[in-house]
Amino acid sequence: MSFVVGTTLLAVVTALACALPGTFVVLRKNSMLVDAISHAVLPGIVVGYFFTHNLDSPLLIIGAALAGLIVMLGSEWLTRTGLLTGDAPQGLIFPALFSAGVILVSLNFANVHLDTHAVLVGDLNLAAWEQLIIGGTSWGPSYLYVMLGVLALNIVFLGAFYSKLKVTTFDAQFATSLGIRTGLVNTAFMFLVSLTVTAAFNAAGAILVIALMIVPPATAYLLSRSLPVMIALTAVIAVAGALAGFWIAYVFNAATSAGMAVFYGLVFVIVLAATRLAQRARQRERRRPRVVAPA
Amino acid sequence: MSLIEFFDNHTYRMVFFGTMTIGLVAGALGSFAYLRKQSLISDVSSHAALPGTLLAFLTAVVVLGVDGRNMIGLIIGAVVVGTIAVLFANGVTRTSKIHIDTAMAVALTIFFGAGMLLMRIIANGVFPGKGGIQDYLFGNASVITIADLTTSIIVGSLALVLMLVFWKEFALRTFDPDHSTVLGFRARTIDMLMFTTIVIATVIGVKAVGLVLMVAFVVTPPAAARQWTRTLPGMVALSAVFGALGSGVGAYLSIVLGKVPTGPLIVLTLFAIFLFSLLFSPRRSIITRIVTRARARSALKRELVLEGAAR
Repeated sequence: MSFVVGTTLLAVVTALACALPGTFVVLRKNSMLVDAISHAVLPGIVVGYFFTHNLDSPLLIIGAALAGLIVMLGSEWLTRTGLLTGDAPQGLIFPALFSAGVILVSLNFANVHLDTHAVLVGDLNLAAWEQLIIGGTSWGPSYLYVMLGVLALNIVFLGAFYSKLKVTTFDAQFATSLGIRTGLVNTAFMFLVSLTVTAAFNAAGAILVIALMIVPPATAYLLSRSLPVMIALTAVIAVAGALAGFWIAYVFNAATSAGMAVFYGLVFVIVLAATRLAQRARQRERRRPRVVAPA
Repeated sequence: MSLIEFFDNHTYRMVFFGTMTIGLVAGALGSFAYLRKQSLISDVSSHAALPGTLLAFLTAVVVLGVDGRNMIGLIIGAVVVGTIAVLFANGVTRTSKIHIDTAMAVALTIFFGAGMLLMRIIANGVFPGKGGIQDYLFGNASVITIADLTTSIIVGSLALVLMLVFWKEFALRTFDPDHSTVLGFRARTIDMLMFTTIVIATVIGVKAVGLVLMVAFVVTPPAAARQWTRTLPGMVALSAVFGALGSGVGAYLSIVLGKVPTGPLIVLTLFAIFLFSLLFSPRRSIITRIVTRARARSALKRELVLEGAAR
């Protein structure tokens, strides 16, 4: 498999793996939580490294995902105390965790040498560097298979808990009255999101992870009125955006992750403008008086 | 290290007063973001400050041919682009069914992504004085110069003066938006002014503490101050004090301990102030609530026992 094809595949699989759970993140009004999680994973990685001493260990991803879960559970707990309002709880916890991570790195805790800059910005081409070679032939970047695993996990989880997720997302009280354990479903789902963010983080960097998880579902949300349509559209937009964004960044020799993030954003803006124009046209149509033909 | 030694050193003095100014301004203006339940808007504006700063730098170097590191120019660029990002997020929510959190996440990725693209262009090109421009990403408190300090004091005071002049409008718009519209105040103009002041508060700190951590300076002091006070003036004042105090203590600790970066240590100090307030504030806090509940429970029990005995 050539390098460009392998990297493109990695981009497409990462985009799908992020966008599918992203649909529910957007519908649950938790979009900024992805930003919070993507920063909070830093201390998780550092502490995970302390125990494993291996930067490629899968335990590291789980440790980081747990740190992401702390943000989510912590901010939920702060909201429940009733002493804080709005979106402040999220904004309180993730900078503190990120700071703890930066201090741990700077104190050389566990002798981990992390470039915080590289962690935040990320580079798709770098993640695709290491190739999986079996029997002398290259099977594409090895990280592609990690992301395929995450994608499969997401599809299985969303498939198995589809109805429960749907009802807890749209009517949490009704879900509770049906006997669904809303808290448990929430926590499991957010752990999955946290795991996906962490895994994708390595391939795409923080900024592209937020773009991949939020922007395709948000664009699909503008165009759809039912959940299945929204999920299908999300998948289409994610894949098409990954292909086009990656190609454009490649041609213009721009930073891949940032270029793709901006491309997704532009698609959103164009769709938003188009839906607005269509809405206006429809309203004008309705307002126009009916011309009655003379008898 | 004694206090005299500490204040005798130029760099330490700059770090101390620079971060305190940032903490004070961000704390005071963050109160309005907190009360409008849009604290995370500061995260959007701090990320959008990156393309703003870089655009201002490129304009200065390429178009005007002057020194690109002029602090005032960079701040103006950051404030303008930051405000555009915030207005974009609010505009998306107003004109479509997209919720504010999603709109903020979209704005953040577009503007920060654009910033990273510009960063690549600057890194690859030949521009005079491009060194140190990457400090905006993670912040570096030890590079605060006299010019930086005076600029942030001037720009910060400007934002505070704006807040005082439009105090009545801001308060009314925050607590009763419909009533303020009925009274004839232009909602969009007030919003723009209010968000511009919040953006200024965010932007002046980005170079010293970095755009990732700036959100903590805007969110944490008001959240702590809210536990101690019930009035708007009290909250703004206390939040400013908490911001300045946390920044001063954090900066002092980071210098005394050596090796520990300033920004993160300030954030942890602010977080400690917040946790203390949440647990121990006499009026509204977790412990107060536990005590009141326990008292109410025992009072009820006593009443029931007495009732039972009377029967």
